[in-house]
Amino acid sequence: MITENEIREAVKSCLVEAGTTYRRDQFDAYERAIGAEKETYCRWVLEQILENGRIAKEEQLPLCDDTGIPHVIIEVGEECELPKKWLAAIKVGIADGLRQLPGRPMAVLGNDIERVEQSHGLDDDPAGLAPAPFITRSVEGSQLKLTVLMLGGGPEIRAKTRRIFHRRSIRNVLGEAASWLKEEVGSLGCTPTIIAMGIGRSQVEASALMLEAMAKGRLDRQNELETFVTAEINDTHVGPLGLGGHTTALGCFLRIGPARASGVRIVSARPCCLVEPRRGTVTLG
Amino acid sequence: MIRLETPLTVEQTDSMQIGDQFEIFGRVLCGRDAVLPRIIRCIRKGDPGVEKLELVGAVIFHTAVSPAGIGPTTSNKAEIEESIPELAAAGVRIHLGKGSLGRETIKSLAANHSIFAVTPPLTALFSHRITATEVLAYPEEGMEALFAIKVEGLPGIVAAAHGRNIFNK
Repeated sequence: MITENEIREAVKSCLVEAGTTYRRDQFDAYERAIGAEKETYCRWVLEQILENGRIAKEEQLPLCDDTGIPHVIIEVGEECELPKKWLAAIKVGIADGLRQLPGRPMAVLGNDIERVEQSHGLDDDPAGLAPAPFITRSVEGSQLKLTVLMLGGGPEIRAKTRRIFHRRSIRNVLGEAASWLKEEVGSLGCTPTIIAMGIGRSQVEASALMLEAMAKGRLDRQNELETFVTAEINDTHVGPLGLGGHTTALGCFLRIGPARASGVRIVSARPCCLVEPRRGTVTLG
Repeated sequence: MIRLETPLTVEQTDSMQIGDQFEIFGRVLCGRDAVLPRIIRCIRKGDPGVEKLELVGAVIFHTAVSPAGIGPTTSNKAEIEESIPELAAAGVRIHLGKGSLGRETIKSLAANHSIFAVTPPLTALFSHRITATEVLAYPEEGMEALFAIKVEGLPGIVAAAHGRNIFNK
């Protein structure tokens, strides 16, 4: 049986990996983007991003000082045997990871009102940062798969979850969601973005699907719909860091869930920043 | 690549154009939403403590300073952007952050021989270029206190100068 300690160590490693390490498909996408840009300063921005990624990976340093809010996706096999305190082990693993990264100590102290007004100071301990509520999925098999995502503040300001009248056209849905994001990527600052998008039946479900898209998406495996969204965003010519150019979006991660009989789909769309999606995944058992 | 050593002169920022790439060497102030409005209130009150901040010729980087490192926050957040005109008038020569600024803010920069520059969030790379860090004021704000750091080659690109804006070329 999987042990509490294995879960704790795995979550810690996933969090540190998420905060410090671009995946191979991200490095390759940046290399391609450098080749596509003509303007010297756009190329320079992309080269600096790559260099930052190499240093962060080699020295296990945070990619960005906004190290993000931990979000955990748990996929539990139907035959998986878990120790009694497995959820507590995930929480401790997150705290360990935040101290090791180190995460930015940005948890706001105080009661409800003091936290909203940020009037009672910050917690000095990076581990004071509580994770978002966990998302749990039941899957076939006997394994436990854990994904830790670290979500930065900038994209959260600009993400949207809203209804779209689909008019029996996926292009209509994606086009309208892309139009929201076109308004946002110019003020994101940290472009190139990767668009994460979930389509579901409720605000919560669409947001969860968007998060799962961030957890599963790959830049070297883009389907026709994802390529369509990417092209729409690149049409803005916001470019790296908003300086203009071809590369506003490196790609799109799209996840479509169940639908209900209705003329409406609920879409959650998030313009991830240039260090995202920051994720680490491990399978136990 | 233009080499800039702080404190900066009016002539240095007047000679810079949008798109110019530079590296900063020397002292850089670091502050964001929490402390920039507090500095503005001190300037308006004529608080003598403002002189100790050495704003004339300064660079202000819109960032927190934490064990995780430094990296630009969005400069068009209300409390940051609203502080820029008065900080420019007080002698700050470069406001370093990310994102675009409004037309009125860009006009105020031009009127005060000040420029806005952007830099990517290169936290791992920046960590190699910081040689010293000190809290200057408002320690109760934690990572959002006003810091002074010493840097060797902090990079940036001029995004607004002389009333022109790289985002709306």
